[in-house]
Amino acid sequence: MQEKVEAQNILSMNSVEVLYDNVILAIKGVSVQVPKGEMIALLGSNGAGKSTTLKAISGLLKAERGRISRGEITFQGADITEALAQKRVEMGICHVIEGRRVFEHLTPDENLTAAAPRGMSRSTLNAEKDKIYAYFPRLAERKNSQAGYLSGGEQQMLAIGRALVTQPKLLMLDEPSLGLAPFLVEEIFGILQKINKDEGLSVLLVEQNALAALEIVSQGYLIENGRVVMHGTAEALKSNSDIQEFYLGGGETDFHNVKHYSRRKRWLS
Amino acid sequence: MDWVFLSELAINGALTGLLYSLFAIGLVLIYKASSVPNLAQGGLTMVGAYVVLALARDVGLPLWLAIPLAAVVMFGLGFGIERVALRRLAGRPVVMILMLTLGLDIFLRGTTLAIWGGTSRSMELGVSYDPLFLGDIFISRIHLVGAGVALALFVAFMLFFRTRTGIKLRAIADDYMASWSVGISVERGVGLSWALASVVAVAAGVIWGEIQGVDQALSLLLLKGLTVAVLGGLDSILGAVIAGIILGVVENVGADFLDPLVGGGSRELIVAAVLILTVMIRPHGLFGRHDIERV
Ligand SMILES: Nc1ncnc2c1ncn2[C@@H]1O[C@H](COP(=O)(O)OP(=O)(O)O)[C@@H](O)[C@H]1O
Ligand SMILES: [Mg+2]
Repeated sequence: MQEKVEAQNILSMNSVEVLYDNVILAIKGVSVQVPKGEMIALLGSNGAGKSTTLKAISGLLKAERGRISRGEITFQGADITEALAQKRVEMGICHVIEGRRVFEHLTPDENLTAAAPRGMSRSTLNAEKDKIYAYFPRLAERKNSQAGYLSGGEQQMLAIGRALVTQPKLLMLDEPSLGLAPFLVEEIFGILQKINKDEGLSVLLVEQNALAALEIVSQGYLIENGRVVMHGTAEALKSNSDIQEFYLGGGETDFHNVKHYSRRKRWLS
Repeated sequence: MDWVFLSELAINGALTGLLYSLFAIGLVLIYKASSVPNLAQGGLTMVGAYVVLALARDVGLPLWLAIPLAAVVMFGLGFGIERVALRRLAGRPVVMILMLTLGLDIFLRGTTLAIWGGTSRSMELGVSYDPLFLGDIFISRIHLVGAGVALALFVAFMLFFRTRTGIKLRAIADDYMASWSVGISVERGVGLSWALASVVAVAAGVIWGEIQGVDQALSLLLLKGLTVAVLGGLDSILGAVIAGIILGVVENVGADFLDPLVGGGSRELIVAAVLILTVMIRPHGLFGRHDIERV
């Protein structure tokens, strides 16, 4: 039974603890599973530990003097807890980091080229580019202008497109909706959903905008103070009173289907 | 006003300036990838010249073979520097990397002193010193050759930065974290930029070694090279080429006017003025990029 569940999860993160600078405990035993081909949301307020969780998975922690001090992460059954970031990208994990960090002095087209895996043939790269331009027609229009001068929405699209060039199996996005107008969020989330459907790409989406995220994912995790405090289906989370109160601005109670963790008081953790 | 003489000053100034550019291109390559001016570029240039001489005189190879072989050796040395020294400094303040390059420069000078001593050796490229006249204007052949090498390298790097590897290097120059996030090996990229700068150092070392002899004084080229790189914008190869020409012309023509007035030494004053004024008035140089305002 356990094995069967393992096999269906493309990513499994078990009781992972992360230390920055060897002293700052940023996440404290986070467990997150991403079933193959599904879209999962990681919700929570500022400083909760969402970005740290993604960095633990992508291996970018090292660049910030962070490390996994406990727990393990497996990707497609392989232990990647200690793997180099570059290796993880090769295995199929790509992390669209916070703040749409496109290569500003390159054109969008060059941004896509820069992300090409070593050894990808020119024709494969061009086919990838065509596919990405088809998903994001706005990018195609501006592919030869300077990326630093694109609008916020276009830069986010480029950051996602750039990640797709690495041919990921798991795409992780860190607050892609931040600072974007609602219609753009809807457009980008719509495209993500389409890519997920068309290509079976698994997605781990970090968001503060729970309302928008819960519309497109199947399950969500709520992180607070470095711990997972709630996990359930999108439907269940949407109707949960705490979520509604803190993240959606709603009211009614429905504990249906929500797996509750003890919500520790802040002074205890 | 003697126009022929003035053009002669300007043209030879421009040629000398391109030799500064030749040096400065190496600085720009490393600045792009590491955001530090490499204070060891002078040391690398000196070592480049010494390695050519070692292969040509000590081993006895012909120069046409010794120079490319030295380029290969220096390419490896550049990679090695990243591997042994720089990688350990990843994530530290940039000023620490700057100090490391200073230490490296001192180390390289000391090493060449220990191995080859301090007596100046000649390169003996075999370029003729017979005067070359362009109409009435006298031109130095070795400067002409060096300027040609500088322009050839400029074109080669412009093309290189359009290739996939070149684009990845530019991406690294833009954003380390974003580069890592898509699987670009930042370490290899930085190593490659040091390796390429070390190859440029061989070219500069051969030309400048021919002009002023091969000894530790070659490492002092850093001062003019840095001035040119700063004027050009530190991260622009085109900037380095144009700034080199500007500095060379201003220095040569300016010194001719000023030397009689101040009794010599005005070249250094002009270089100093260019460097200081650039930093004060236009810190990102002629072609350096400003960081783009976020929309
Ligand atoms: N590079 C870092 N060095 C030290 N502490 C960090 C670093 N990055 C994040 N933290 C700390 O870890 C905690 C979680 O941060 P983060 O994962 O960025 O949260 P979120 O993405 O949910 O806003 C915060 O308390 C933050 O201050
Ligand atoms: Mg964050």
